[in-house]
Amino acid sequence: MNESPTPLSRRTMLRGALFTAAAVPFGIGLAACDTGEVDGSGGGDESVDTSDKMVGAMEDYDVGTTFVATEALTFDMLYRDHPNYPYKADWSFITHVTEDNNVSFNFTSVPLSDFDERRSLLIAAGDAPTIITQAYAGTLDQFVPSGTLLPVSKYVEHMPNYLAKVEAWGLQADLDLTRQIDGEYYVLPGLLESAKPTYTVAIRDDLWKAAGFDADPATFDEFRDQLRAVKEANPDLDYVLSDRWSTGGPMEATLSAAAPNFGVRAGWGFGDGTVWTGSAYEFTGAMDGYRQMLELFASLVDEGLMDPESITQDDDAAIQKFTNSKSACIGSNDQEILTYRTNLADAGNADAVVRQIIVPAGPAGSFVDNTRFESGIALSSKAAEQDNFVALLQFLDWLFYSDEGLEFAKWGVDGETFTTGSDGARELMPDIDINGLNPGAPKMLNTDFGYHNGVFMPAHGSTQDLLDSMLRDEVAEFRAKMNEKEPFDVGPGFLLNELDLEQVALQQTALKDAVYQATAAFILGQRSFDDWDAYVGDLEAAGMSNYLEKFNSSLRDA
Amino acid sequence: MVTTDPTESVPDLGAVRNSMRTIKDTTGYRVFRYVNTAFLLLICVITLYPFVNLVAKAFSSEGYIAAGEVNLFPRGFNTTTFSAVMSDDMFWLNYRNTVVYTVVATLIAMALTTTFAYALSKKDLKGRSVFVGITVFTMFFSGGLIPNYLLISSLGMKNSIWAIVIPNAISVFNLLIMKSFFENFPAELEEAAAIDGLSTYGVFGRIVLPLSKAVLATMVLFYAVSFWNSWFQAFLYMDRSELYPVTMYLRNLLAAATSVEDMGSDSVQIASNVQAVTMVLTVLPIVCFYPFIQRFFVSGVMLGSVKG
Repeated sequence: MNESPTPLSRRTMLRGALFTAAAVPFGIGLAACDTGEVDGSGGGDESVDTSDKMVGAMEDYDVGTTFVATEALTFDMLYRDHPNYPYKADWSFITHVTEDNNVSFNFTSVPLSDFDERRSLLIAAGDAPTIITQAYAGTLDQFVPSGTLLPVSKYVEHMPNYLAKVEAWGLQADLDLTRQIDGEYYVLPGLLESAKPTYTVAIRDDLWKAAGFDADPATFDEFRDQLRAVKEANPDLDYVLSDRWSTGGPMEATLSAAAPNFGVRAGWGFGDGTVWTGSAYEFTGAMDGYRQMLELFASLVDEGLMDPESITQDDDAAIQKFTNSKSACIGSNDQEILTYRTNLADAGNADAVVRQIIVPAGPAGSFVDNTRFESGIALSSKAAEQDNFVALLQFLDWLFYSDEGLEFAKWGVDGETFTTGSDGARELMPDIDINGLNPGAPKMLNTDFGYHNGVFMPAHGSTQDLLDSMLRDEVAEFRAKMNEKEPFDVGPGFLLNELDLEQVALQQTALKDAVYQATAAFILGQRSFDDWDAYVGDLEAAGMSNYLEKFNSSLRDA
Repeated sequence: MVTTDPTESVPDLGAVRNSMRTIKDTTGYRVFRYVNTAFLLLICVITLYPFVNLVAKAFSSEGYIAAGEVNLFPRGFNTTTFSAVMSDDMFWLNYRNTVVYTVVATLIAMALTTTFAYALSKKDLKGRSVFVGITVFTMFFSGGLIPNYLLISSLGMKNSIWAIVIPNAISVFNLLIMKSFFENFPAELEEAAAIDGLSTYGVFGRIVLPLSKAVLATMVLFYAVSFWNSWFQAFLYMDRSELYPVTMYLRNLLAAATSVEDMGSDSVQIASNVQAVTMVLTVLPIVCFYPFIQRFFVSGVMLGSVKG
């Protein structure tokens, strides 16, 4: 009709363009780089002379010091505008940073809906603001060869709080895994004192209790037994489990949480599909553990315990079934469970009790895939050319890594948005709410004050004290129990040169597609497990061995 | 003696009509008509249902929507969501932007498209095939996203209305439709006007345009709808939310409900009825605008596309 493409094709175009943009510097980098050499064992972190970039910086800045710029500074920042708390220039957060830290922001505001795409565009075009927020280690790797990002590990000496937390929480080894081929890392991750596993399934506790189950299932086999008993006791249920989060692939949240217990990775945790087996990396989709996991879910479908639509339905459909008591178990996290409860209450089902179970153990043991990194910040390479560069690092260190800054970003200002009791417990002012702490209060901590904002509080406070400070008891308990599980071994990591990075990226798409398709087919029973060898043959045909070889020949020294 | 019944020579017209009707409406034809009607009604229902459902959700309470119990009629009727959305200043600011962008962009697009198409429609235009070639080339090839971004940035158009209204001012598809339309315009009319003393611009402005209302209305519709719905230019070139069109506002609202996996505890969903209300308010002007211009629509496209 007219020449405006649909949003989808726009997005496809954007991806294509970004891929090209990433490939161009790759070509340049290829010419300049010896592709055979891999040295990521932490060659960076050497001191760089920044004595001419001290404008606004504090001479005596250290752990425990509040950062106050010695002259008024303005920093460019990529801001992710969240529809739940649209940006307001008169937020208390902004006012306090301006008045107390002598810092103001020049935001490039990008809506949440298209944040990743716009960020990639800005970086690829060399037009990114100095501070790039919401950056995950790994997601920006493709831009490293272009030189538009700052190798921030060279400058962390100016960030005493960051260094102190990395050391105190033993995160240096994890951090080293993010180093690029030049030995530097480019993203300052949000740090967590302890991991915060979030995803599991929520069950209708009232139905579970009626069927005689008080305790969480210890293993997935027990989980299946419980589903059987609940189904038997409640013939009205269409299915016991009707899952969600399948828009990007089959049951991505649930499989992601279950997979480590089968010794594999799946769903959102699929990543590059590699699993460390103690001596080498193997491909998750071809492992016995993956087969066992699929056999479990296939048996649930086969016995009529799991809704086959779990693989394809959108979230709303799954939530509707749970709300209408057509199902009694659904993928969940600490926020979504509140939605389920509200929906059930709104639908007039006052007796329904919903709780989350600890992810059961599997044949491989009781594991949890725990990262202690959250989204963090990257800097544009032009940051190092600014004469206020050191002040910028000090400010970021204070806001994102100091106890004071973390508390400020999460809770606001003592006496204004919260009070601290004699036992150190913080309490929101009675007219302010967040996370349902003061239900019915007229103001919101994020919407009206700008605190508790994902951009300035990427790791939700980092320290265990701050992480727990706003949690409901059930969530703190859930996290504590999940953290009792063994951490899933990610292995020594690997370091690929640009050429290999490009090749594995291409192969990865084909392999992941093959695994996802087969995952759905096996679970739904469309494909028999007698066919497993043929499926592994398909993976082989898609280049699995060659793919693994690239990783296994590039292991880090660590 | 034979008497003739006068009525015999005058056939009963009603009977003839009836018999003709009987002849015309065979059983097969009647079945066809019923099936046809049923099929078209079904298409109408399928087409209308999502919109009716959206309107119903906009007036329903969240609990019923979450339970999937809202179909054609609102349940738990309320208008509080409407008042809540309408009290959001940013919504109206973005809405105003959309109106301004659409009006300005459509005016610019129409001015450029009509004049360019008229010039290209003249067979004696020197270099005509080159111009057409260059124009059509852009239909299939473009500079790419990042070069475009760099161009618009270096022209200083970022964060201004020009970044939205200039780059897509001429749609080649629309241009070609207009060009064919003008090619079929009776040359005698233009010649007569020229003999009466009108300049080229006079002929164009006083004779050709007033006689081309059908195609103009169609083009206005094409352009206005596409600018109203567009969000991508704003996404590329606007750095502040107060500059966004309402489509970006809506897109962001919808995204909050679908990007749960990335956002951790920022993931509280925007209520479905808020989304429904915003969508209804966003499509409303187009829905109101369409029927009035639709009568030009088919004739306009046909006039432009069928070459005499």
